[in-house]
Amino acid sequence: MIPYLVTVRHRRRNGRRLRLYVPVVPVLLVLSPLLLLAVLAGLVACLVFRVSPVDALRGIGRLLWALPGTRIEFEQGRTAVLVSVR
Amino acid sequence: MNEQRRQILQMLAEGKITADEAERLIDALERAQPESPPGAVSSPKPRPKYLRVVMSWADEAGGDGSGRINVRVPLQLLRAGVRLASLVPPQALTRANAELDKAGVPIDLTQLKPQQLEELIDQLDDVTVDVDDPDTKLQVFCE
Repeated sequence: MIPYLVTVRHRRRNGRRLRLYVPVVPVLLVLSPLLLLAVLAGLVACLVFRVSPVDALRGIGRLLWALPGTRIEFEQGRTAVLVSVR
Repeated sequence: MNEQRRQILQMLAEGKITADEAERLIDALERAQPESPPGAVSSPKPRPKYLRVVMSWADEAGGDGSGRINVRVPLQLLRAGVRLASLVPPQALTRANAELDKAGVPIDLTQLKPQQLEELIDQLDDVTVDVDDPDTKLQVFCE
């Protein structure tokens, strides 16, 4: 399953909070033209560095599929950052 | 003799794998299917899905320096990362080796095979690291 929601929470030293909910699929759709360019650039890079493009795409796909469940939380004093992938 | 063990021995007989590899495979098979006494109800322990790193520290001066780090990474993500890392071209590994050597870390990355790294991740299930310091506490475990 690919990630569908990335949550970013940030609490600043002065107590202000920022919460960002990023729906992955709509954002990917909006950025799809750029994504296409990135994929093409990646394919060229694969050919230049003699890496199998199929293996590279498969590897990136696996990485993307394995992302849900990742949670990174950092807190120091009154500052805190949380990144969660669901 | 079960089917998987028979297949391993068959591969050994055909020369497809070495005796060491066969031994490792059989060991892995035994670990995966521990023999239970007859009549006992087998309750397989669920395999951990995440690697957790939890660290907390206190500020000695009593200021704003205390903090906490809580990281949860799916083991599947580690496996995917290892597979992706196996695509790094050899010339890049050679350059990385040279830089590591220059920095005083003589590790030959070309000797690290993806299979070995995957085995390492598979064995992470049982790893628990606890570091207790008066001001700092670190835990690494799988759940």
